[in-house]
Amino acid sequence: MKALILAAGKGANLSPLSDTRPKPMIILSGQPLLEHSLGMLRETGITDVVIVIGHHSEQIRDHFGRGASWGMNIEYVQQSEQDSIGDALLLARDRFKGLDYFILSYGDTVFSENIFSNCLASFSEFKKSTAVVALAPHTEFYGNVYLDDTSRISRVVEKPKGHAMGNYVLAGTFVLASEFFDLVEKNEANVAAAFNVLSSDYGFYATIWEEDWTDVNLPWDVLQANRILMNGWENATISQLATVASNVAFTGPVFIDDYAKISDGVVLRGPCYIGKHCYIGNNCLIREFTSLGDHTTVGYGVELKNCVFFGRTRVGRLSFIGDSVIGQDAIIGSGTMTVNESLEDKTIEVKIGDRMVNTGLMKVGAFVGDNAVIGASNTLLPGTLVPPGSRLPHRGTIA
Amino acid sequence: MCGISGIVGSSDVTKRLYNCMLNLEYRGYDSCGMAVLSNGQIDVRKNTGRVAEVFEKERFSELRGNLGIAHSRWATHGHPSKLNSHPHTSPNGRIALVHNGIIGNYVSLREELITKGHVFKSETDTEVIPHLLEFYYAEYGDFERAVRATVERLEGTYAFAAIEAGHPDQLFCARNKSPLIIGAGKNANYVASDIVAFIEYTKNVVYLNDNEYAIVSKDSFKVKNASTGEPQPKEIDTVTWDAEQAKKGGYPHFLLKEIYEQPIALRHALELDDEKIAALAEMIDNADRTYLIGCGTTFYAALLAQYYFKEFAGEYAPAVNSDEFRNLCGVDERTLVLAISQSGETFDTLEALRYAKASGAKTAAIVNALGSSMTREVDFVIMQGAGPEKSVLSTKAMTSQIVILTRTALWLAETRKSLPPSELEGIKTGMGELPSVVRSILDEKPGFVRRIANRVGTFKKWLYIGRSYHLPAALEAALKLKEVTYIPAEGMAGGFMKHGPISLVDEDMVVVVLMPTPDNEALYRSTLNSVSEMKSRGGRMIGFHFDQWESVFDEQIVLPKVHKALAPIPQLVVGQLLAYFIAVLLKRDPDNPRGLAKSVTVE
Repeated sequence: MKALILAAGKGANLSPLSDTRPKPMIILSGQPLLEHSLGMLRETGITDVVIVIGHHSEQIRDHFGRGASWGMNIEYVQQSEQDSIGDALLLARDRFKGLDYFILSYGDTVFSENIFSNCLASFSEFKKSTAVVALAPHTEFYGNVYLDDTSRISRVVEKPKGHAMGNYVLAGTFVLASEFFDLVEKNEANVAAAFNVLSSDYGFYATIWEEDWTDVNLPWDVLQANRILMNGWENATISQLATVASNVAFTGPVFIDDYAKISDGVVLRGPCYIGKHCYIGNNCLIREFTSLGDHTTVGYGVELKNCVFFGRTRVGRLSFIGDSVIGQDAIIGSGTMTVNESLEDKTIEVKIGDRMVNTGLMKVGAFVGDNAVIGASNTLLPGTLVPPGSRLPHRGTIA
Repeated sequence: MCGISGIVGSSDVTKRLYNCMLNLEYRGYDSCGMAVLSNGQIDVRKNTGRVAEVFEKERFSELRGNLGIAHSRWATHGHPSKLNSHPHTSPNGRIALVHNGIIGNYVSLREELITKGHVFKSETDTEVIPHLLEFYYAEYGDFERAVRATVERLEGTYAFAAIEAGHPDQLFCARNKSPLIIGAGKNANYVASDIVAFIEYTKNVVYLNDNEYAIVSKDSFKVKNASTGEPQPKEIDTVTWDAEQAKKGGYPHFLLKEIYEQPIALRHALELDDEKIAALAEMIDNADRTYLIGCGTTFYAALLAQYYFKEFAGEYAPAVNSDEFRNLCGVDERTLVLAISQSGETFDTLEALRYAKASGAKTAAIVNALGSSMTREVDFVIMQGAGPEKSVLSTKAMTSQIVILTRTALWLAETRKSLPPSELEGIKTGMGELPSVVRSILDEKPGFVRRIANRVGTFKKWLYIGRSYHLPAALEAALKLKEVTYIPAEGMAGGFMKHGPISLVDEDMVVVVLMPTPDNEALYRSTLNSVSEMKSRGGRMIGFHFDQWESVFDEQIVLPKVHKALAPIPQLVVGQLLAYFIAVLLKRDPDNPRGLAKSVTVE
């Protein structure tokens, strides 16, 4: 079977992280999000993939090429205006001529286990279009499904406004009959309408997913996605090519990749990932759910907790970064503090676009775009968004 | 639903056929059988019971051969018995066949064959197929032609596999609207209703379409169109997933699947013949005393029914734990003992029934599993028809039992005129709406239930509170939580709390309250009183209620409108979902909780 991955979207809600990169190039444990999905497809025996690209498409092309290094055959479809999912589908339509069924995957979802093999297993039972459905904290972002007695989807209610629903939602992975392309066209690229016709006229079934999953829509979803991937780790992995000082302490599934260097007195608490060519200075404390992309340099005495670094970042000495996401090539000056909780013991709100969104989380740090520079001794309050390439000066009490 | 399988291979096929049957047991398990061809003879072994039992009883292991077919049955036409089990054979015994589906025109085919002198051994629709095959084989002298001629005569749904004594290396199969799949293996080929049958032997599969038949030998297979005889080109697909997952039909666990099958199970219970319900009601009416007995979940079903019998029909029918029945209850020939059992094999309930019978009492049972011991031992039985229940936790079987018991109580009320007609009609209408009410809960509430599970799933102390007929539902909801999450939970009558247990309530305790509907005024007020008592002691209050959003609760599930007397049933469904989601959260195995078995057949 051939797979279609949608990776063109701008991901405005994910700003500043998405300003300079497409969502699928968010880097978790040293790999872009998309690479995790492709790995699962490969594991399921699927090697032919069409990716619809748009926003910063060159990054995806440069990283994956034709897919040879992954044993895959990747084709690209360029979507110049990042319109709807329906438009993306129609652009890719002629790559699926003559096929009965295809896999459709939204490029910004993360599942704790191989979602494609799960979906294909159910598909082989139903022999009809099949969607992964799951429960989500906010049903208003998704297609809400109604089921009949045989797990057939009888109705899809897209992004209901006004009242909360407790339905299972479409989780962005499907096996679809190729007639779906026609339905999308007939319904003027309205995917929700096409799903409803699919269910009434062709048969559309649900496979229910109860394990962890998330789509990466808002900045703090990156932390959740990272957690989901790391929760699946059972063993510690230390590359033979890494250099680890003799008095480094480990607990849990710590992953140290090739050519990383861990200095004296460092404490590593897994799950955490130290990427290729990373340098961890003396006496650092690297706590659970920290992911450091390749070539990250961490100075003396830094504490890191539940945070994602895309890579090639420098963190100056005696800093604390917690519950935060830091873009590529950023520089974090010495003594930078992220503050990750409010004094009022309340869940934290973050400004997304022009509205305040409640994260539902008690601890949220900062989200720093690619190439940003943060001068020494800065304090970043909960939910701070630092645009890519911006420069925060050093802070000093005496000028 | 039945499961068929067949193997043609170069080595002995018995062991592999047995595994295929085990893998298909989920499609039905009231009886099973196997036919193997060796030295030009077809040996057929079959009987009622689970696959493993029949394997022992009929000594399947004695069968030897390179070609065989097997079947596990969930009876539709003809009750479960040895004669009605598959494989069925032709009159001369040279053709054996297994079938899944229903032959719509079997009555007329059967009559036609009888006029030609055929004698039928079973009550099944299936038996006409091997008879037709023999008839046409005699006429044409070509078995493939006979298969086509037979298929032309059949109406309805079928997938069948047949062997013929003169074709020691060929298996014949055909399908129309029932599943049939060919598995292409090494030195052997397979056919089955479902890939899971043979997935441990091969993952290369070919799907047959409607109106196609196939001739399968050990290293090749030919698929043809049944009307034209044209060969049909087929591609071999490779499956990449694991077998257990595939049986769950899109659900991650059987428990969730069965919770979601409740609308249809309830509908089946509502559609059971009125005569059956009337007969049971009459037995109750004729007895001086009726005991309702069950164990675990079925005891709570009995307890809920006790409330309904009293409330609707003025009948005092005490619910008793089967295992205490002997110690507690005296019986004589004027007594009726009505047992409730999913499996029909529950040891304690069988013992209680035997004790009652020995004292001359009448016995009756409501049972889900066909062909089980209880169905044979009691004077009168109602089969629930809720379908196989695989998860150890009983869900759809229980709510279906409640519907059957409620219908019986209403029937009794009608004959006794103990309820005003408008009241009676109101409850009946409410019963008819139950499947759609449960459907809407399953569609619209799981997200809310899961959110509650995520928030309170790590609490270690749980209390479920209900009054009147909400009490059995509270007890059952607590049992569900205990069974599947291993968290201590108690179900309790709201009025009992202040006589001691309320001292347990503190901020570490979750209290789930099963609220009556607001139109059930007195009960509603007294339950609400219990809520404020416990809330003031710091309990984390969860409400399953029918009001508007209620601020008195910390967490709540607002349920759709139902008749006040039937309000416990939607609450049972929410209780099941809550237990399931907490089990998932805590990484328990929802289908096989530690130390529990599906049917408790020991003391």
